[in-house]
Amino acid sequence: MPVVGFTGVSKSYGEVRALADLSLELHPGETVALLGPNGAGKSTALDLLLGLKNADRGAVRVFGRTPEQAIAEGRVGAMLQSGGLMEEVTVRELVGLACDLHPRAYPVDQVLAAAGITDIGARMVDKLSGGQEQRVRFALATAGANDLIVLDEPTVGMDVSARQAFWATMRGQVEEGRTVLFATHYLEEADAIADRVLVLHQGRLIADGTAAEIKARAGARRITFDLEGTVDEAALRALPHVVGLEVTGPTVRIRSDDADATTYAVYGLGLYPRNLEVAGLGLEQAFLAITDAATAAGASAAGAADDEAGKR
Amino acid sequence: MNTLVRLEIVRTLRNRKFMFFSVLYPGMLFLLITAGTDKSKKLDGANLTYVAYYMVAMAALGAMTAVLMGNAERIAREREKGWVRQLRLTALPGRGYVTAKIASAATVSLPSIVIVLVLGAAVKGVRLDAWQWAAILLCTWAGSMVFAALGVAIGYVATADVARPISMLCYFAMAALGGLWAPFTAYPDWLQTLAGYTPGRAYAALGQAVEFGDAPHGKDVGVLVCYLALFAGTAAWLYRKDTRKA
Repeated sequence: MPVVGFTGVSKSYGEVRALADLSLELHPGETVALLGPNGAGKSTALDLLLGLKNADRGAVRVFGRTPEQAIAEGRVGAMLQSGGLMEEVTVRELVGLACDLHPRAYPVDQVLAAAGITDIGARMVDKLSGGQEQRVRFALATAGANDLIVLDEPTVGMDVSARQAFWATMRGQVEEGRTVLFATHYLEEADAIADRVLVLHQGRLIADGTAAEIKARAGARRITFDLEGTVDEAALRALPHVVGLEVTGPTVRIRSDDADATTYAVYGLGLYPRNLEVAGLGLEQAFLAITDAATAAGASAAGAADDEAGKR
Repeated sequence: MNTLVRLEIVRTLRNRKFMFFSVLYPGMLFLLITAGTDKSKKLDGANLTYVAYYMVAMAALGAMTAVLMGNAERIAREREKGWVRQLRLTALPGRGYVTAKIASAATVSLPSIVIVLVLGAAVKGVRLDAWQWAAILLCTWAGSMVFAALGVAIGYVATADVARPISMLCYFAMAALGGLWAPFTAYPDWLQTLAGYTPGRAYAALGQAVEFGDAPHGKDVGVLVCYLALFAGTAAWLYRKDTRKA
């Protein structure tokens, strides 16, 4: 049974379509990153998954039940981006509340230690720094033996060392066999931590695979060189395995899914590339390449539809 | 769930400013409104002094203000900050949240009622039997929970900006119809009949029945129980159904 199942899920806010016909499954033990530009529908997808919003169409299932049931059974822990905290109480009291409410709770001291907030247990919640607040939210999300942990941009507002410490804690959760789903803006996090990456764009799932697969799909490598004289763009674009071409002055940048073959073909054209560099594409560039392509495809589809309408 | 109830009470007690004004307001209002009244002047056709009538009315009014306004505004603010969203990701049932909020409101209303009664006895010379004091305190306190539940419901439909005006509106309508501002006996018959089914009137009538030496009327208790179920049920439903981005 999948941990999470979305089947044909759509959600709109008035005219704005946040999710369009989204279908996906998460499996036990996976660490999944949810990527997408702002407004791609990440937060909406997580809200639906947690039962904080209802889908207009389609079904959302968590461990085969409704999100509300799964949460009531204590199988899901979640850390929200905008999750406010109860004020006028101490950190320890608040975490104690989360433990008390969890059907399969851990001892309070253990939860505080795991989140690295034992030393600020006596502090009032209203007096915490941004990073400390995030750790308290994390403690609330891990107060009991959840099978699924959902994190919405968990490391926003943390400095680099806090971020590393956070993911070290998170890896501990993964090693215990939990399924982790996190939305993030930091692509290096997705690259380093997730064993599966989902890319949302304008409410649609446009890529689903390992970070390596996503990079390969975007054109795995970038070839950069300078040419003398006029650059024949058409000829370069026609080279084998080229998936992207960019020319600025004498500098040519090619994205290729087989850099060896493309480079060989460049010489085959009789060109003499100078300052030749072949580099792997980061997930960040891959992500931009995929979303740009999706935007272009969406625009041309819309353009075609407009043409159709114009003819009638 | 008990931890939540305890925490809600603790944090209300820690909020000194809120406690101070909510607890003292009814007592001050009582002293103000009876400032120029002759202590021995009686209501028309009844063996009860104006001062005693206002003491019970102000205790009720004060408790109602504290729990209604306090709850509505604080909850609307908590929703806006996202705490309620976080709480909805726990196994807490809707009734747990409403219970905790009513309990914390009751923490505020009890001392506010006691202060009005103490002022009535010590400063204004109100004399009642011992059982009447106890019964008035108990009825006024228990009845205030109806309005605490209404406060939770309002906190759920309103944003922080409009929670106060909305609860004010409810409060004035209920207080006026309940005869908490002016002696109810002065109202025309049709209005008395109509008002009899509003929560404000039923609430005020509890304490007044005791003042006149009776037990609280079954009809008033019934009306209040119905409103409590209605308000608390609506609040619990709204807590679980709140699908807006809080």
